[in-house]
Amino acid sequence: MRIIRMASQALQAMKDNKVRSFLMMLGVIIGVATLTIITSSVMGARSQVMSRVERFGLDQIMVMAGAGRKPGVPQPTPTTLKVEDANAVLSEISNVKDVTPQINRRDIPIKYQNKNSYAVIVATNPNWSEIWNTQAENGRFLNESEVARLSRVAVIGQTLVNDLFEGEDPVGKQINVANNPFEIIGVLEKKGSSPTGLDLDSRLIIPLTTGMKRVFNQDYITNIKIVVNDTSRMGDTVNDVKMLLRERHNLAPGVEDDFTIVTPTLVMALASKVASTFSIFLILVSLVSLVVGAVVIANIMFISVNERKSEIGIRRAVGATKKDVLAQFLIESVTVSALGGLIGAVLGVITLNLLSTFSKMQSGAILMPIIIAITCAIIVGLLAGIQPARKASNLDPIEALK
Amino acid sequence: MINVQNLSKVFNKDGVEVEVLKDINLTIEKGEFVSIMAPSGMGKSTFLNILGCLDKPSSGSYTLDGSPVQNMEDDELSQVRNSKLGYVFQSFHLLPRMTAWENVILPLIYSDDDSDMKEKAVEVLNSVGLGDRINHLPRELSGGQQQRVAIARALINNPRIIFADEPTGNLDSSSSAEVMDIFRTLHAQGRTLVVVTHDPDVGSQADRMIEMKDGRISSDRPTRSLSEENAK
Ligand SMILES: Nc1ncnc2c1ncn2[C@@H]1O[C@H](COP(=O)(O)OP(=O)(O)OP(=O)(O)O)[C@@H](O)[C@H]1O
Ligand SMILES: [Mg+2]
Repeated sequence: MRIIRMASQALQAMKDNKVRSFLMMLGVIIGVATLTIITSSVMGARSQVMSRVERFGLDQIMVMAGAGRKPGVPQPTPTTLKVEDANAVLSEISNVKDVTPQINRRDIPIKYQNKNSYAVIVATNPNWSEIWNTQAENGRFLNESEVARLSRVAVIGQTLVNDLFEGEDPVGKQINVANNPFEIIGVLEKKGSSPTGLDLDSRLIIPLTTGMKRVFNQDYITNIKIVVNDTSRMGDTVNDVKMLLRERHNLAPGVEDDFTIVTPTLVMALASKVASTFSIFLILVSLVSLVVGAVVIANIMFISVNERKSEIGIRRAVGATKKDVLAQFLIESVTVSALGGLIGAVLGVITLNLLSTFSKMQSGAILMPIIIAITCAIIVGLLAGIQPARKASNLDPIEALK
Repeated sequence: MINVQNLSKVFNKDGVEVEVLKDINLTIEKGEFVSIMAPSGMGKSTFLNILGCLDKPSSGSYTLDGSPVQNMEDDELSQVRNSKLGYVFQSFHLLPRMTAWENVILPLIYSDDDSDMKEKAVEVLNSVGLGDRINHLPRELSGGQQQRVAIARALINNPRIIFADEPTGNLDSSSSAEVMDIFRTLHAQGRTLVVVTHDPDVGSQADRMIEMKDGRISSDRPTRSLSEENAK
């Protein structure tokens, strides 16, 4: 096959000039390596964002006490958000299906026999389990009568189980929470850490009423999670919640909200912001190096065409058509570039692995980024090679042989 | 085989038109061994390049093997050069990074022949006495050996016509003699040979010697070697 013979000629030229070929590859190697890192980490970040939004719930809104808050960032809690606010939202706004108010407190000391640990206490209602999609996998979750009776019962996360009960079944045991005796009625399923780094398995869930009256002695809450019926009316509902709460808190027009409403779109925006500033920088780096790579390839190819005029003349004299010469030089530039792409992709993957071992950076699928990177390299090779190859193919055989 | 009528070639050098070939008429029959002689700069190479389909005349017609060359597209000319013509140059024009056999197969790359290229190359290299040099690079070969590699390359597609431009110009006398021996063998095989030279010793080994002057053919006669042979 003529084209296979041609390709092997192009490959031989590459092998014969290893230094030249390597120089041609350099820009592409750098460009593709960074591109692989970006696409993989962006894809990783995106799936992370998506899972975070899904965990948050696409049909849910969260109202946090206090102005201008961000999820996961602790701040002194204002005392204005009340359980009655949650009840009003449920009864007065028609698109609201369910609400769950809660109090969150971090770093509460807990104790079992002679073992100590610290918990994130969540005081809430039985529907929390369903709304936050977190079940008790051993024992059971809170029930209504425990809330009504202000029972001292708790459902604990698995980090706490490991800290306090070495192999013992915690259900039915008595522990001490901020100097109150509590009976463990269940263990939460494992949830890992939240995107903001909070260990979700160090949570300890108690009835809201117990938390308010017996543990913290407070009448205000930290946040309310709201489930809506119709997600297409999410925007209106957010507005209704806002108006209702402003009215209930007696906020005059112009006064800032004393609460923050977090919607799935906001979660998505916050989560992708971090990823995008990082990736814009890397996209620039890889674009610049791919362009530089293309310019380098084009220049070296032009030099090579000039140096190899006599070769081109000989090939034309023994029967190479213009197309044959064009193909030979194009195959050369594309192969060099694709090879650079391959090396770059391998380097990128190695770097990704190093990064994800040393930092918490998430990386996504590997195959897709490599395909994207090598496709880019081939395009670079084609674009960079076309002009030199055209020049080579249009050389007058007589001139080339002089 | 070769028929040239009213052929001229004009070069435009710094705005000045120079007519290098003027109104040339020439016929070369199949199987002839022709030498073209002229002093330097008289247009020998220009003429040979046109005959070899590497260059085009400014005017006039050229018929090769019954086909009008002036009407051919570039791809068609490449095809003709590949299958019907072989070239031998003064400075060998081998690819320096390729071994002898790799140089020899070059024309096969651009032909539609899918047979074993190396096998063919070895066969042809054997026929020019270089069977023991197939894996040598050009710089590892003497001038005469390099020129024989170039001849092997010219022969690999079994062309009917061989064009040689000063094939012995860079060679000592014994290498020249080897090259001319090969040419006579090729002639004996029935191939048509056109050799450009300014060396009368070389030119006189052809059957027919054409001399050029001022862009025209000034003399066209059988050489002594041929007349002597005929006399026998
Ligand atoms: N591409 C060109 N442009 C302009 N002038 C040219 C070109 N090629 C050849 N010439 C001129 O045409 C004339 C003939 O050149 P050519 O190379 O055919 O001569 P030659 O007989 O082969 O000489 P030599 O024996 O030195 O090889 C020279 O005067 C040369 O300068
Ligand atoms: Mg010449």
